[in-house]
Amino acid sequence: MDLHLFSQFLISGLIMGVLYCLMSMGINFIYGIMKVINWSMGEFFMIGAFIQYLLLESFIGSEYWYIGVIISACAVFVLGALVQVILIKPMFVGIIEAKMEYVTIITIALAIFLRNLALLIGGPYIYTPPDYAKPTQLLTLPLSGNRLVAFIGALVLLGLFYFFIKKSWTGKAFQGVAQNRAGVQTSGVNVLRYDMLAFGLGTALAGAGGALMAPIFSVHPLCGLAPTIRGFEIIVIAGLGSIPGILVAGLLLGFAESLGSAFISPSFVDIYGFILLVIVLSIKPYGMFGKAERTV
Amino acid sequence: MNNKNKILEMDNVVKIFGGLKANNGVSFEVEKGEIRGLIGPNGSGKTTLINQITGIYDATEGHIRYKGKKINGLQPDVIAAMGIMRTFQVARVFLNMTVLENMLIPAFTQGQSNNEANTRAEELLDFALLSRLKNKPTKSLSGGQFMLLQIVRGFMRKGLELYVMDEPFAGVHQSIKGIIIKSIKMMNQDKNVTFLIVSHEMATISSLCSKVTVLDKGARIAEGSMKEVANIPEVIDAYLGG
Amino acid sequence: MNLFHTKYLVFLILVLFAAFLPMYIGEYWQYVLTIAFFYAILAASWNLLSGYTGLFSLAHHAFGMIGAYTSTLLMAKAGIPFWMSIPAGILLTMLISSLMGIMCLRVSGLYLALITWAFAEVARNYFRLHYTFTGGDRGLESSLLFGTIQPTPYYYLFLGLLIATIILIVLIMRSRIGYYLKAIRDDSIAARSMGVNIVRYKIFAFAVSSGLAGMAGAFYGHSIGLISPIMGDFNEMAMIIIFVVIGGIRTMPGPIIGAIAVRILMELLRAQSEVRILILSLLVIIIMRFFNGGLMELYRQIKQWINKDKNGGTSAYHEIETPKQGES
Repeated sequence: MDLHLFSQFLISGLIMGVLYCLMSMGINFIYGIMKVINWSMGEFFMIGAFIQYLLLESFIGSEYWYIGVIISACAVFVLGALVQVILIKPMFVGIIEAKMEYVTIITIALAIFLRNLALLIGGPYIYTPPDYAKPTQLLTLPLSGNRLVAFIGALVLLGLFYFFIKKSWTGKAFQGVAQNRAGVQTSGVNVLRYDMLAFGLGTALAGAGGALMAPIFSVHPLCGLAPTIRGFEIIVIAGLGSIPGILVAGLLLGFAESLGSAFISPSFVDIYGFILLVIVLSIKPYGMFGKAERTV
Repeated sequence: MNNKNKILEMDNVVKIFGGLKANNGVSFEVEKGEIRGLIGPNGSGKTTLINQITGIYDATEGHIRYKGKKINGLQPDVIAAMGIMRTFQVARVFLNMTVLENMLIPAFTQGQSNNEANTRAEELLDFALLSRLKNKPTKSLSGGQFMLLQIVRGFMRKGLELYVMDEPFAGVHQSIKGIIIKSIKMMNQDKNVTFLIVSHEMATISSLCSKVTVLDKGARIAEGSMKEVANIPEVIDAYLGG
Repeated sequence: MNLFHTKYLVFLILVLFAAFLPMYIGEYWQYVLTIAFFYAILAASWNLLSGYTGLFSLAHHAFGMIGAYTSTLLMAKAGIPFWMSIPAGILLTMLISSLMGIMCLRVSGLYLALITWAFAEVARNYFRLHYTFTGGDRGLESSLLFGTIQPTPYYYLFLGLLIATIILIVLIMRSRIGYYLKAIRDDSIAARSMGVNIVRYKIFAFAVSSGLAGMAGAFYGHSIGLISPIMGDFNEMAMIIIFVVIGGIRTMPGPIIGAIAVRILMELLRAQSEVRILILSLLVIIIMRFFNGGLMELYRQIKQWINKDKNGGTSAYHEIETPKQGES
């Protein structure tokens, strides 16, 4: 296998890895704040993709796809916040703690509901928005324009997210909530409000991902399944709660899938991530950067 | 002091959580049949110590000996089987079971027969004036009743020798407090059960405990009768925030 | 045990009803009910692990799949007869789940869900990947237990398995072990301090519940004649959860009634395949959000209203879960 081809696969893996990180970041962020896992993240990805498609087809036109991404993300944010307030917030006994069983069941049911709702409304069809950018070249390597654009978009989003969390006051409040839900209230932080914002923000990341990746993966009711699986794979590989771990795990996953498709077979692309997962877990059962939580 | 009399020995117990040293070399001994108070300002490491005695945490350094045998590092259920029961600061009762079922659990794990366990439970619930609630779901009880239930539940153990209580009187109604005190005295006198009680209620501790051990900032700073330690400058400082 | 207690009488009547039913319904519905019984076993055994003991597993369906493949492959590739291959399937699922239980002893409920999810996906993909051996996505033929495609013997087989499952779970939950399992769910720290051996009983819950799933799966393979990695698809797990929630989690009849009722309903609404799932998932959301008890709770409340029963009793509805410090 020559270097040229190999680099092509590496770059492809790099790009996909970063794209999947967007999902994982959303899942992990919601977990960090609310200590729950939202099993319907993939459906918010799908909704983001659908909104983007509708926007491009009927309102904005494909030239302003980046505006579409922003609008899609905002729309999903609102939807996510609504879902949180209606369905999830009441599950919290008192203000501080969550009922894990209820949240898990309800988000799984929500995922199925949204998926089938989309099937009912949109039908079992696949919609593909027009390309965001023309195929291009990185040095001598051919590169899909859509993927490059999505890659850059994801990096921008991840970067913005990072700065938001680290530097803004709201971001710091989020950090506080993540570290100590009970204690942070004494600083006047309305934990419940931040729960809603966090959920909205996390789902918005997924929605933005859906919008960005619409021309790559196409838009259809089940388009959220694959990203969900990747998203959770990354979290398990990285270990719950580790942000840098997500980036590392995302890249590893991207590489694993890309190289696996290249050297073994492209038809089992879903499987390589899980091979990686098994390898990592056999060495570090709680993920690369996860800690063995001692709950006695 | 005759070794056989020491039921509990804390030998230079150190507990470190990440960057926090909760217990900084705590040493003291409790004699069999004592009702010992464990007092100290908030954050002095009392609950952490209790948790190490009962196996919830493992000591970072040092030893905890029960009847001469090292118990730090053992699992909570093993420690319970050795004759040690405990109550929690925030009452841990099985909310989705009935009051009676709560009582039966420690009896069952000990292998008591159904008859034995039920008889004993009825007696104790009677004593605690909880009989009429015996088939009610535990979640319907009041906060004070949770604490009372928690306490008499521990008395279900045959051969109970050491009972460690974490703030048994906190936020508890006077009448329930009275029952708790009565039960402690009764178990101590009739069955020679040793008690180690963490509490902030000085008056109660004073009347109940012949001796108290005072902790501050993770270490033992005094020991003696309530009267004695109340006059020690370090103790006064500790409570006034020196 | 008072044998004339209403519950047992009702159970007996239902069993007799189910026993005579094949005489009045066609082969098609016998087949539908057989599959419904299969899911009822999965639902009831999941309820044991995740409902009563509080160990929320997302790998239950995968153990059904593993049981099916183990038994089928042993027969097909090694010529091992049913009476050995099926117990082998059961034992393997018990072993694997016990190992998983040991691995997850100290982890939070959330992490357990994640790990079991990952395990199920790995297992599913394992059977897909080794397609030369397992048939992969095309599926694998399985020898029929009764050598016929007539549904009736399989109907009685699964009815019998379901009854055995019910009896086993009832015996467990009424025994001291049942108390310990419930205590583990309610407050595992308190349980340990009261002398409950958490390790032993968590593993017990894993092994028994997964063993039942593996048993159902193994027999399923030899009843339908074809198994595939779809058995390990996440949708299957979601359906199990749906059955249990609709029927009433943490009740004995709930999961079984839920599974059978929903499966029958799904069959009746065959034509509207998205709508039926839409309604079911919406129902689950509504139940979880507002009501929580499912059909069994509805039944209990109606009974209560009729009897003006003052003794509340312990029910699944309106449970208190106050996580305390040191627990997630």
